[in-house]
Amino acid sequence: MPALPEYRTRVLLENHGVPLVPAVFHDVIPDVLPEPVVFLKAQIPGATSRAGRGLVRRASTPNEISNGLKELLAEENCQGVLAAEAVDIKKEYYAACLLYFGDEENLPGGVLLFSPEGGTGIEERTGSLLKIHFSLLNPPSALAIASELPDIPRVNELADFLRRMINTFIGYKLTVLETNPIAVLSDGSHVAVDCRAEFEKHGVSRKNAHLFKVSANALDDSTPLEIMVDAINTADPAGTGFFRASRQKAPEGTVAVATNLCGGGGKMLWEMTTGGRDDIFSLNESDTSGGLSGFKSYRILRVIMSQPEAQVLILTGSGMAFQNQFHLASAVWKALRESATPLPCLLRFGGTDQEKAMELMNTVAENLPVKVKTFSPEIFPNAMVEHLSEIATDQRIKQEFTPEAGELAFEVETPPARFVYHPEKNPDGNEPLCIKECPTGFLQWSNGRITPNPEAKCIGCLVCETVSLIQGNGELTIELDLPGEVL
Amino acid sequence: MPGILKYLCGIDSPRVLVFGITGRQGRSRSRLMKGFGTEIVAGCTPGKGGQEVDGVPVYNTAAEAVSAHRSINSAVFFVPAGAIAKAAFDAMDAGISFLVLTADGVATQDSIKIKEKAHETGAMCLGPNTVGMLDTDGYLFGLIGGKASWAKKNYLPGKVGVISRSGGLSQLLAAFHCRHNLPGPRSDGSFGPLWGEDYPGLSAVLCVGGDPVPGITLLDAARAFEADPRTEVMAIYAETGTTQENDLARAISNGEIKKPVVVFLGGKFTEAGVAQSHAGAMIRNKSETYQAKKEALEKAGAIVVDRPDSVFAAIAEFLK
Repeated sequence: MPALPEYRTRVLLENHGVPLVPAVFHDVIPDVLPEPVVFLKAQIPGATSRAGRGLVRRASTPNEISNGLKELLAEENCQGVLAAEAVDIKKEYYAACLLYFGDEENLPGGVLLFSPEGGTGIEERTGSLLKIHFSLLNPPSALAIASELPDIPRVNELADFLRRMINTFIGYKLTVLETNPIAVLSDGSHVAVDCRAEFEKHGVSRKNAHLFKVSANALDDSTPLEIMVDAINTADPAGTGFFRASRQKAPEGTVAVATNLCGGGGKMLWEMTTGGRDDIFSLNESDTSGGLSGFKSYRILRVIMSQPEAQVLILTGSGMAFQNQFHLASAVWKALRESATPLPCLLRFGGTDQEKAMELMNTVAENLPVKVKTFSPEIFPNAMVEHLSEIATDQRIKQEFTPEAGELAFEVETPPARFVYHPEKNPDGNEPLCIKECPTGFLQWSNGRITPNPEAKCIGCLVCETVSLIQGNGELTIELDLPGEVL
Repeated sequence: MPGILKYLCGIDSPRVLVFGITGRQGRSRSRLMKGFGTEIVAGCTPGKGGQEVDGVPVYNTAAEAVSAHRSINSAVFFVPAGAIAKAAFDAMDAGISFLVLTADGVATQDSIKIKEKAHETGAMCLGPNTVGMLDTDGYLFGLIGGKASWAKKNYLPGKVGVISRSGGLSQLLAAFHCRHNLPGPRSDGSFGPLWGEDYPGLSAVLCVGGDPVPGITLLDAARAFEADPRTEVMAIYAETGTTQENDLARAISNGEIKKPVVVFLGGKFTEAGVAQSHAGAMIRNKSETYQAKKEALEKAGAIVVDRPDSVFAAIAEFLK
């Protein structure tokens, strides 16, 4: 899970009225240094046990502050330094909110962990943690929390602190929220001295996105290709587009396989097939499913094929995808035509129009620069992999692709695309075949031009372009931009 | 004969409200659902009340739709993940008792809230992150099946109940039980047709989804198939993560589930703590590992196989 560093977590807590130790965040050395005494804390997402690693320092003089800031700002992945006022702590507590996933007997919900013995070394005292389950729909009142807490001074104030913490946890849909320690000051009040949070990217609302912004050097270690897939999903959200590159290099002597798998089950099938083999190396994990458009299939394929080490592409669903397989085959063909370094492929089509998909690939195969082998869904990945080494390549083929110039007919916003008409390929000016093949009636022929029907929607299936190129004269092409450089 | 929803949530004939019917996916999937035989009564899209989509009236809220069409008892959602909790609450508050939540990428906190709300209202939610469900009695919800003509050809009435944590494998396990002369590895080690013209066929297929907090669980679904007289044997795709397989194993052990159960268990090579494309497949503790689940299921009496095409031979053995 992505992690929020302390200075960002503080903002969330502050917004729900949780009292905090006064602190100022510095991402550069300020002109006016903070007044001593302060604690300088490096802000590194996901970093724990910072004190033991020298990432938290007590600075009592201007010189110590200046040097401390300089050194901590130079730490790897450090987003800045929080300069927190030193406070007189009488007692330390620990509290955290987590998710509880439930089981057959218990409903899922949240769990509040609390220990009257907070501070460093809490990891060794987990046995002393009090667990209070709570509902996310109807979070507990301070009174209800107080009734569960041990007998400690000013318990109602502490319970109110914890209630606000729970509200922060629920309000921002966090997966973890930890404050350690909660300090009891000499006047008996409670403040959060240190805090951290974890979250799911898809749990962050647009309204709150600025609070969760994860910088390039944060715990989120996304590769450039993964960031491209994120951008593709943002522009065309329908359907799943999951891609994660392996962080390891393909070992010597293995076949390096780029994978385009369909569904979590498809990914699992592949893993069950190859997990025990040391002659096959998967360069990436992937899941393209959930009714994604042909446009999105194409874009993600281009990313997957861009892995420079790849020797072969395997594309397989779990066997019976509900995504129309002809649309998928159209995306594959387009990616192979337009990639600068196309990959040989093993393709398994299963689902609606699987026969049309295989027929398309067989029709175009001889004009492709790489070998392509198709399989019906009855052939499982464990049989397909036996064909890997026969088509894998050590030397990626290079080709040039330049989109043919034409007239921009119109653009579609979602899924994003430019439809380009080539009038010179239609000298008679008759309605091109691709118009009537559009499955939703989105394409119209009007006054010798291709226009969009405002009453219908484009589903990004690519049928029009495929029909135009195979059965027509190439009257219509589709340009699909990618959010970055691909091979 | 009633379909599986009778045994899952007491619905004899589903009459469906489609959330997001005015969107691209909602519109096209509604057509496919209708084409298969599902009775779609109304649609719901906030701000688009008063419109019609293919003759189906659209309302702003579930309450308005239910007030105009008292027969509505179920709903399917083609809305973005960020909007799913609000829409599901709207449906449950209107008294709808069966919900199919197709969205992928739903925040875990939202899934938990939906489950809490379902518990409060007595509703049952399939998903999130589900391809849906299909009953050979003549209805389907969600994305399953592809074109209606394809679905009618590939999902045929019979004796096998399919439950799955994967959308693709839901369809594969369901459709392959309906194929004549399906080839596959036999229990004696040979490869060839597992049955002849008389395929086992399907009663229904329920995809419980790949998220860490599913509404309807493997066990909930197994209980429904246990009660369904059409179903003689269950074929299940299970995997690492969550307690669903462990709960199912306990129910088989204590005799609550008596019908034969064949499980294709995925995740043999899944590492603990590593995020999966099925968020629910992530292993959080020892009991959620492949090994722990395999042992629990086998000890309970389920047949566990580690490749999908081995399921069919095992099912055929039970139906001999």
